[in-house]
Amino acid sequence: MKGLVKGLGVTLRNMTKKKVTYKYPDEPMKMPNRFRGVQHFEPEKCIVCNQCARICPTECITLTGKKNPDPESKVKLVIDTFDLNFEICILCDLCTEVCPTEAIVMTNNFELAAYSRDELFKDKEWLTANNTNVREENNVSLLKAKKGGAE
Amino acid sequence: MALRTEELLLNVGPQHPSTHGVFRIVVKIDGEIIKEATPVMGYLHRGTEKLAENLNYTQIIPYTDRMDYVSAMTNNYVLVSAVEKLMQLEVPERAEFLRVIVMELQRIASHLLWWGTYLLDIGAMSPFLFAFRDREIIIELFNELCGARLTYFYMRVGGVKWDAPDGWIQKVRDFVPYMRERLKLYDDLVSGNEIFLARIKGVGRYDAQTAIDYGLSGANLRCTGVKRDLRKDQPYSVYDRFEFDVPTRTEGDCYARYLLRIEEIKQSLRILEQAVEMFPEGPVMAKVPRVLRPPEGEVYSRVESPRGEIGCYVVSKGKDSPYRLKFRRPSFVNLQILPKLLVGESITNLITILGATDIVVGEVDA
Amino acid sequence: MTEHKDQEQLQEQQAAASGEAPAAKDTTKPEAAAQGEASAEQPAEKGSAAEAKPAEAPEGGTGAAGRNEGPASSGVKAETSGRQAASGEAPASDGEKPKRLDPAEREARRAAALAARAAAQAAGEAPAGDGEKPKRLDPAEREARRAAALAAKAAAKAAAGGGDEGEGAEPAPKEPSPNQPLLDKIVALIRDQVAPDAVEDQYINEVDSHLPVVVVKNEHWLKTAKLLKQSLKLDYLINLSGVDYETYMEVVYHIESFQTGEKYCLKVRTDRDAPSIASVTPVWSTANWPEREVYDLLGIQFPGHPDLRRILLPDDWAGHPLRKDYEPLDPEV
Ligand code: SF4
Ligand code: SF4
Repeated sequence: MKGLVKGLGVTLRNMTKKKVTYKYPDEPMKMPNRFRGVQHFEPEKCIVCNQCARICPTECITLTGKKNPDPESKVKLVIDTFDLNFEICILCDLCTEVCPTEAIVMTNNFELAAYSRDELFKDKEWLTANNTNVREENNVSLLKAKKGGAE
Repeated sequence: MALRTEELLLNVGPQHPSTHGVFRIVVKIDGEIIKEATPVMGYLHRGTEKLAENLNYTQIIPYTDRMDYVSAMTNNYVLVSAVEKLMQLEVPERAEFLRVIVMELQRIASHLLWWGTYLLDIGAMSPFLFAFRDREIIIELFNELCGARLTYFYMRVGGVKWDAPDGWIQKVRDFVPYMRERLKLYDDLVSGNEIFLARIKGVGRYDAQTAIDYGLSGANLRCTGVKRDLRKDQPYSVYDRFEFDVPTRTEGDCYARYLLRIEEIKQSLRILEQAVEMFPEGPVMAKVPRVLRPPEGEVYSRVESPRGEIGCYVVSKGKDSPYRLKFRRPSFVNLQILPKLLVGESITNLITILGATDIVVGEVDA
Repeated sequence: MTEHKDQEQLQEQQAAASGEAPAAKDTTKPEAAAQGEASAEQPAEKGSAAEAKPAEAPEGGTGAAGRNEGPASSGVKAETSGRQAASGEAPASDGEKPKRLDPAEREARRAAALAARAAAQAAGEAPAGDGEKPKRLDPAEREARRAAALAAKAAAKAAAGGGDEGEGAEPAPKEPSPNQPLLDKIVALIRDQVAPDAVEDQYINEVDSHLPVVVVKNEHWLKTAKLLKQSLKLDYLINLSGVDYETYMEVVYHIESFQTGEKYCLKVRTDRDAPSIASVTPVWSTANWPEREVYDLLGIQFPGHPDLRRILLPDDWAGHPLRKDYEPLDPEV
């Protein structure tokens, strides 16, 4: 009997405490900066090196490049299409980790729910428009270089 | 006049709240007494080992997150430590400390989740809310550290991906006394509760001989008095620098397992406390070649996960993806004793015994 | 349902039993072939790795290319050993072709031997079963040991590349493994108690904390397993995994003793066309589900198993996915 009463005491004491739950759908959740959310893509930066598509463990990136319309430019190729299939993307961060120009970066947005699978197939335009809450630190090795190489 | 009873086949699962995932047990019952139990699994089989044969080592790590999704950090570690062993890589000290810190936090989080859901299974609602509230703090810490709440993908071969952000270590330091306080509250709330005790004391009992024969590990083995903790017996990472005890009990029943897990949280807190004090400066990533090609050879690495011994057997042929990768999943091995334990028990004890084994179905099926 | 199952299983077991006899008889033949092939394969593979390296480096692109472009022969190891061994680049460049002992190589070897001896001394303080017992290693000691292991490796590699001549002149720089006595003990025991020819192969797996590995002949396996549990008190089966080596299949048992703390790795090989290995479930109950898993994913039969059927995949699945020649029925899935 004693144990029961003791347990009830804990419950009663906690009844008057402040609430700890999030009011999530009503108030947006703020994720910490490193959060791995839906990617943002910047076509101007991409050099079509294909590294992101190769490292992706689920092979959900498909991209094609085309000849640079501006013949003067040093850059031979520019991105033509860039599709990301969020049905199978596991938001593992590897694509942003290898991208040498930080053309593909993570954002802190995480809301992806949709009524149809087709909606989860995001193209270049959508990814480019997804430009809010972009993560600050993306490619760790580049970051180090920027800081002057801590090592 | 004796009551006439008939044998009945009962399907528990695959969608049953107490199985914590998609897992099915076919039980043959006579009245309330279980005559035979046959676990059926594989509903969550994703073929991790097969997929791994076509991926390179870095790409496999996120898949390990999804095996034991309650304890992703230890899964990460077992794979990277195997590859590091093969390549004979030296991992920076700071990275090892970060690994230990996250693995211990993970152990606490995992035990908390177990504690909450186990009590939920056997009929107590509020402990679940307490446990998840405290687990949330750890999850938030991980979220800040590596940007995900469940599938962390934090460790890399040769180190860890992120250094601790500013103030993170301080938060871990503050967490330790907080959690100690909470454990006292947990004890008040549950451990002395007469209904709870009547429900789990003496249930699901086995002895050390059986436990070893069935290859059990973790709290399932220690509850029979066998002092086995890979962190102490074969120290990996930097575990040999910390002082902690390996709690054991001799009863071998569900209650012993319950008490052990609570005690393990306390020991993890001890390790955390020491780790944040000794936390060194330095890089968090060793110099590793861009393309990981471990030399030909094979290695079996073992790690004490919250559920027991998780192991990883890698056969490398010098390519950038493994020739064969095999995980020893503690949930899978620990579950084997279940049919034996269930025979002769009443059907209500099925939940008690299954819950106390602490399985994660993603790991059972891999 | 269950009756049906039983029958099916019976049939299966019968089929296995009838297939087993011839399989057991000619294990030796494919074995020899396999070995020949393996040795032939090795250099070829090395060559291809060497080829792949420079091809990859420029492609890898950004900055990192410079780090390991030099020793194309054996990327990683060359790099690490280069860092550790006294005479920097010598072992790496020697690796492939030296017909004579040039001074640089001799130098490297001497360094290796010295390091090895130092490590042996350091290890000497500890009783046998190095690295296994719960025992604190101070960092310096660990460092020394690792350096020694690396150096010894480099030397061994140089020796292997050096051909016959190098082999003859070599005063065996490889330090005896701390677990050599364990290996000798178990091999002697098996040879003595089971059959003189029961041991197919034996070696020490250095990278895996000097784990003694014994390959046991298929037909002697069950008897060996029983013996090991009884005389060596190997009561804990840590892990059981199956590997398809394309020319043969192998089941790997990691076994440990709670009473003595000794650990071994045992392997049993089987023919690939009708793979079958005696079940050890009667010896270690742990083996039950892992054996089912191996049967499920690799198709190895375990005669003597109480309930051998698929465990992870559905019962009507076609094929065994972890076999190297597995073709999915429906590649879209
Ligand atoms: S986050 Fe991972 S899974 Fe998603 S696109 Fe990038 S690499 Fe692929
Ligand atoms: S890695 Fe970056 S630059 Fe290269 S193709 Fe992908 S997005 Fe473009």
